Amino acid sequence: MRKLVTASLAALVLGTALGQKVQITFWHSMGGVLGEATEALVQDFNRSQNRYEVKSQYVGSYDDGINKLLAALRAGRGYPHVIQVYDIGARIMADSGAVVPLEDLARQKGFNLDSLVPQPRNYYTVEGKLFGLPFNSSNPLLYFNMAAFQEAGLAFKPTWSLKDLEEAARKLTKKDASGKTVRYGLSIPIDSWFVEQFSYNSGQYFCNNENGRKARATAVSFDNEAAVAFLDTYARLVREGVAANTGRNWSDSQSLFSQGQAAIASYSTASLTGVLRQVGGRFPVRTAFFPYLKERNGVAIGGAALYVLKGFPAEETEAAWAFVRFLLEPKTQGKWHIATGYFPVVKGVDGLPEVRQAHVKNPNFTTAIQQLATSKVNTASAGCLMGSFPEIRQYVAAAWEEVLRGRPAREALAEAKAKADQALARYNASVAR
Amino acid sequence: MVRASPLSAQARARKRKEEAWALGLVLPAFGLFFLFYVVPLGQAVWLSLHQEGLFGRDLRFSGLENYRQALADPALWKSVKTTLLFAALVVPLELLLGLLAALLVWRPYPGVALFRTLFFLTTAVPTAVAAVAWGWFLHPVGGYLNHLLKGLGLPPQPWLTSPDLALPTLAVITAWAGVGFTAILLTAGLQNIPEEVLEAASVDGAGPWTRFWKVVLPLLSPTLFLVGLLVLLKSLTAFGQIHLLTRGGPIESTTVWIYRVYQDAFFNFRFAYAAAEGLLLFLLLVVLAALQFRLLGGRVHYA
Amino acid sequence: MRRRWPLYLLASLYAFLLSLPLLVLLSASLRAPEDLFTPGLLPPKVSLEGYRAALTDYPLWRYLANSLLVASLATLGVLLTSLLAGYALARIPFRGQRAFFGLAVALLLVPGEVTFLPLYLLVSRLDWLDTYQALILPFAASPLGVFLLRQYIKTIPEDYFDAARIDGAGHLGLIRHVALPLAAPALGALAALTFIGTWNMYLWPLVVTQSKEMQTAQIAINFILNEADAVARWNVVAAASFLVLLPTLLAFLLAQRAFVKGIALGGLKG
Repeated sequence: MRKLVTASLAALVLGTALGQKVQITFWHSMGGVLGEATEALVQDFNRSQNRYEVKSQYVGSYDDGINKLLAALRAGRGYPHVIQVYDIGARIMADSGAVVPLEDLARQKGFNLDSLVPQPRNYYTVEGKLFGLPFNSSNPLLYFNMAAFQEAGLAFKPTWSLKDLEEAARKLTKKDASGKTVRYGLSIPIDSWFVEQFSYNSGQYFCNNENGRKARATAVSFDNEAAVAFLDTYARLVREGVAANTGRNWSDSQSLFSQGQAAIASYSTASLTGVLRQVGGRFPVRTAFFPYLKERNGVAIGGAALYVLKGFPAEETEAAWAFVRFLLEPKTQGKWHIATGYFPVVKGVDGLPEVRQAHVKNPNFTTAIQQLATSKVNTASAGCLMGSFPEIRQYVAAAWEEVLRGRPAREALAEAKAKADQALARYNASVAR
Repeated sequence: MVRASPLSAQARARKRKEEAWALGLVLPAFGLFFLFYVVPLGQAVWLSLHQEGLFGRDLRFSGLENYRQALADPALWKSVKTTLLFAALVVPLELLLGLLAALLVWRPYPGVALFRTLFFLTTAVPTAVAAVAWGWFLHPVGGYLNHLLKGLGLPPQPWLTSPDLALPTLAVITAWAGVGFTAILLTAGLQNIPEEVLEAASVDGAGPWTRFWKVVLPLLSPTLFLVGLLVLLKSLTAFGQIHLLTRGGPIESTTVWIYRVYQDAFFNFRFAYAAAEGLLLFLLLVVLAALQFRLLGGRVHYA
Repeated sequence: MRRRWPLYLLASLYAFLLSLPLLVLLSASLRAPEDLFTPGLLPPKVSLEGYRAALTDYPLWRYLANSLLVASLATLGVLLTSLLAGYALARIPFRGQRAFFGLAVALLLVPGEVTFLPLYLLVSRLDWLDTYQALILPFAASPLGVFLLRQYIKTIPEDYFDAARIDGAGHLGLIRHVALPLAAPALGALAALTFIGTWNMYLWPLVVTQSKEMQTAQIAINFILNEADAVARWNVVAAASFLVLLPTLLAFLLAQRAFVKGIALGGLKG
C-alpha cells in the first residue's frame, strides 16, 4: 500500500513538473452543425492556455444527457465537471444540490455578472442565485417565405399579433381547383415550447407564483386565455386547410417550409442555419418576432445552460471556472453566435467587427437579439421555473393534439392541467423530504 | 453394478470430482445468468417496494404502494389497452402475411430459392432500419405512399401523426418486419405435413382449394397457434419502432406498456414506480410464456 | 411452367410489394438533397452525396465496428457457455442438475426488454455505463443456448462418448472431440440466431451508451435521425441506414441455411 502511495505521489509530482494539464470533462448535447461549433470552442479554449484541458463528449439529446447525469449522480460517480442541461431543467438542477452555483463562483473570482444580458441571466436565477451559465440561448421566431409574401401582396413587418398572423396565413394559403391545399399559410410543430412562449409574450404565466419566480411553483397556469386562444386558432386554421399539422417533429415541418409548401413557420433562432441550408436559396427568407395575443410582452429564452458540478478537487473546479469564463468572453460569444444563430448572452458582442459583418450579410441573425432587446423584463418573460417540466410538456403537447382533433382548447388544457398539477405535487413532495 | 452398501471412499472421491467438473462447466453460463438476470430482477423487486426522493435519495420502504398506485393509474391502463390493441392488430396480420409467403414457397420448384430468400429477407432487417425505411415511405412531404395516393387522386394521409392512424400504421410496420420470421416457421410447419395425407386427399378427388381448407390448414393449426403465440410475445415488447417514429404519441396513442415504463424511468425520473410497472408487465409475459411452453409439451423437433 | 405462371406472378408481385419500403430507402439514399421530394421510385439523378456525408459526418465505421465487436463477442460467449453448460447438464449426473436445468428453462421465459431497467441500475452501479462490457456481458450467456445444447447433446449416442473415453479423454476432451463436432448444426444455428439478435439490439444500447464512440449501429441511426436542434437530411439518414443494413443482409445471404435453421429451432423450441 505504501509503495502505491509513494508511486502515485511521485507520478503526481513528476506530472506537475512536466506540465501535466488538469483535465476536466464536459458533456453536451450539440450534434450536427451545432456540435461542430461546440467542438471548435472547446479546442479554442484548450489551445488558449496550457494549464487546463477540456475533454468534451456528445452524450446524445438533452433528454439522454440529463438521464446519464442522473444515473451518475445516483451511482455517486462518473458525472462530468461541466454539463449542458436544457432550459426546463433549471428547477431540477437547482434542487439537486449537485451544482456549484455560478453566482458563487463569480463572486469568488470577482466576475461581474451584470455583464450578462438580463433575460438569460434571469431565466437561470433561482431564489436570487444564478445557477447555470446560459450557453445556447434561443428565442422563438417567425420564418417567412418572402417569395410567397410578394405573390400575395403582403408586406413584411417585424411584430405580429395572433389576429394579424391568422389573416396573413389565410391570404398566403393556395388551394387547387379541388380545394386541396397546395401551399399552407402556417406551419408550427406541435411543441409545448410554443405554447409557453405565446403565454409569456402575451403577458401570461405558465405556472403559478408568477412563473415560479416569486415562490416555488405548485400549480400550472397554462390554461390562460393566451394559450387557449393560440390552440383554438391553430386548430381552426388546420380545419380550414390554412395551417398544416405535421405533428411533433420539427424537421417534418421544416421540410414543408423549405419546399415552399408553407409560407409562414415558427422555429427557434437556432434553426436558422439549418433551415437556410435546406431552403438552399430557393426563396428569400426573413424572420420576425414571435406573435402575441393582444399586447407584446416579451419572450423567454430557450436552449440550455452549462452547470458546474460539485464533488471535485479544487483544482478541477478552477479548471471548470476557467472554461466557463472563456465562454463568456465577447470574442467567444461572437464566434458562437455567428456559427449557430444562438444569440450572445453577454453585452457588447454586437459591436465586434466580425459580428457586425455577419449581421450585414444575413440580417436574420439580428432578429433574436432585437426581440430580446425590446422585450419587457418581468416575471412573465422570465419563463416558468418548475419541476417535472419534461413530463408536463408531454401533457401540453397531448392537449394540442386533442384540440386538433376537435376538442375545445379550454377543456383539453384543463385536463392537461389536472395531470400536470399532480406531477408537480409529486415532484415538490420528493424534494421537500 | 448394484451395491447394497454405501459407496466406497474411492467412488465417493470420484463422485465429488464429477460434481466439481459439472459445477465448473455450468458456472460460466449460470454465473452470468445470476449476475445479469437474477440479481437485476431482485433489485427491481426491491426498488419497486420503495419510494425515492430526487436522484434516488431518501429511499423509504413503502411495501406495495407503487403497485397499488400503478394498478390505479389511468395512464398505465391506457398503455395496457394500447398494448393489447397493438398485439391484436399485429398477430393476425403478421400470421397472414407469413402464411401467404409460406404457401408460395413451401413446395420446391425452379426458382423457389430466390423467392425464399426474398420472403425470408426481413429477418435480416434490424428494427431501426425498418423504422427509418417506413418513416421515409410514409413521410408527410416526401413519402412514396403519399405521392402514390396523390397520383391516384386520393388524399395523402398523416400516417404517423394522426392519433387514429398511428397505432395501426405501427402495427403494419411491425408485421412487415416479422414476415420473414413467420414465413420461415410456417414453411417448416407446412413441410412437416406428411405427404401421404396430401396425396390421399387428392386421390379422394379434392381440389387444391378444398385440400387447403380441409387438410392443410387443420394440420397446420398447431404450428399456426404456436407461431401466433410467439408473435404475440414479441409484439408485447415492441419498442424500437415506437421510439424512433412516434415517441409514444400522438396523444399517447402509441404508448405501449413497455414504452410507459421507459418514459416513467428515463423521462419522468420515477425509477421505483417504473420498476413496479415493468414487473407487472413481466408477470404477464411469464404467464404467457409458461402457457406456450406447456402447450409445446417440452419436446424438440429437428427439421 | 405453363401451369405455374400464376404462382410466379403472385410470388413476384408479393416479393416486390414486400421489398418496396427498402427499395424506396435505397432510392432516397442515392438522391441529391434537392431531389429528395420528387415523386417516383427511381432517383432523377444518382448522387452519392448521402453516402459521402454519412461516412464523413459520422463515425459510421466506428458504429459498425462496435456492433460487429459486440455481436461477435456475445455470440462467441453464448456458444462457449452454452456448450459447456449444455454438456454438463446432458452428460454429468450431479446433485442439482435438475435444478440448474429448471432454472435455465425458467429464464427462457424472461424477455430481455422487461429487465432493462434494473439491469441499467446494476450496470451503472458497477460503473460500467458506456463500456463494451455493459454491451456484451449481459448477453454472453443465453438460456436458450443452454437449453438447445443440452437437448441436442442428449441425442448424441452414448457410443461416441464411450469410444472417446476409452481412448483416455476427460471431460474437456469429450467436449472438444465429441460434443463440439456432433453438435455443430445446433451451434451453427445458435450462432446465427445470437448474432442477429445482438446486432439488432436497440433499447439496451440506447440506455447504456453515452459517448459517440460507444454507439452501436442501431442507436446511431436514432441520433442521425433525431439530432437536437438540427434539421434531418433524409438522404444521409437513408444512406446511413442502408450501410447499417448491409452487414446483416450479406450475412443472411451467405448463411441463409444457418439462419433459417436457427430461427426454426428457436421458434419451435418446445
